[in-house]
Amino acid sequence: MKYTTFNQQVSNPLTEPMFFGNPVNVARYDQQKHSIFEKLIEKQISFFWRPEEVDVSKDRVDFQKLTDPEKHIFISNLKYQTLLDSVQGRSPNIAFLPIVSLPELETWIETWSFFETIHSRSYTHILRNLFSDPSDVFEDIVLNEEIKLRASDISRYYDDLIFATQLWQTQGEGRHHVDGQDYLINQRELKKKLYLCMNSVNALEAIRFYVSFACTFAFAEREMMEGNSKIIRLIARDENLHLTSTQHILNLWAKGKDDPEMQEVAEECHDQARDIFIKAVEQEKKWASYLFQHGSMIGLNKDILCQYVEFIATHRMSAIGMESPFEVTTNPLPWMNNYLNSDNVQVAPQESEISSYLVGQIDSEVNADDFGDFDL
Amino acid sequence: MDKVCNTFQVSVENVTPSLPCTNECTLLESLESHKLEVHSHCREGFCGACRTKLISGTVDYVTDPLAYIDDDEILPCCCIPTSNLVIKPG
Ligand code: FES
Ligand SMILES: [Fe+2]
Ligand SMILES: [Fe+2]
Repeated sequence: MKYTTFNQQVSNPLTEPMFFGNPVNVARYDQQKHSIFEKLIEKQISFFWRPEEVDVSKDRVDFQKLTDPEKHIFISNLKYQTLLDSVQGRSPNIAFLPIVSLPELETWIETWSFFETIHSRSYTHILRNLFSDPSDVFEDIVLNEEIKLRASDISRYYDDLIFATQLWQTQGEGRHHVDGQDYLINQRELKKKLYLCMNSVNALEAIRFYVSFACTFAFAEREMMEGNSKIIRLIARDENLHLTSTQHILNLWAKGKDDPEMQEVAEECHDQARDIFIKAVEQEKKWASYLFQHGSMIGLNKDILCQYVEFIATHRMSAIGMESPFEVTTNPLPWMNNYLNSDNVQVAPQESEISSYLVGQIDSEVNADDFGDFDL
Repeated sequence: MDKVCNTFQVSVENVTPSLPCTNECTLLESLESHKLEVHSHCREGFCGACRTKLISGTVDYVTDPLAYIDDDEILPCCCIPTSNLVIKPG
């Protein structure tokens, strides 16, 4: 079916499925089939922040004091996050907008993706402060083997869905030959690709940032790189909301609360989806090994980080009805919770001009006493 | 309308005895005040980290919960008890 930017057919968005129904015509939010997406839009917009609001200048001094292995950890994580947000800043738009059928979901996707572009801009803000010319760091993202390995897995399911959608929208259902390859395009195949893609995005939002987050917050525990930590806390808050949206989509499908065919697809592809999640966990654990290959950093080592990834993964798998293969039941890094608490990251508009004050205020709210009750 | 201050008994599976929890602070805060470790991140109802099974009893939300929860689950970070509860943290 050809895509149209304003579908003149009268359709009822209250009876459309989330995806692969009629293209959205009127951007209206007075009535919603799935009101959760409208609520997520409101919440996300209330989180609006600008990287420039956060004073990162003190980080430059801290960075010079880091050991070489620590510098490797810090910069590698920034590269990896830059990759993740490069993908997320465009892909939900390109993959999902051509096939979405509900106005509130369409706008959620655009809002979500827009916030990923804020994340991308914040990495430039951080790196510009550390290096007079951050080009080398950015250029390495497409050369670094460890990052490339992850990039291909992250973009694969998006690319698959995007290409299949393009074939369907230009040539319709059937078998198509393109560049010597044979493609079978029909509704069922498209829906399977959408399902796997959504699972891959869900895994990305659920766990792909957490090794990096843990390192950032471990630096902050030592009162190092606190400007960076402030930015990462704002990013982590957004990522949590994105994750909530993919969990809702997956659960609406699985529970038969949207498109009945997607419920069948969810059952049929359950194992494949679970494998996508587990593979992402394995990749994150390998990332931890790569980070610590030249040496650990104070307060963190590879093993505890891997346990943390498994702990988070178990929680997040259970949220979408997946059985976890991991056995970590207690949080190995309890102090992480203090940095993921949204109370500690409010950006008050009147304070945003004085970013040093803002950073100072945030820091003072998390001190050693907060961790006193926790046992490792 | 004035809220009547009430304390309810909350029993947590595998934890004895039951814990008194008021409706003056969130269920998460009450459980933490009893030194019970409940997983939490946002503490604002949007991340789902605190997702807990509600085996019996009723709660009211003080913040609209955005995180996905099943019909038999609650988000302790943004609700208060309105009766005695039996719960099982996730
Ligand atoms: S801690 Fe985030 S939903 Fe309760
Ligand atoms: Fe992001
Ligand atoms: Fe995200």
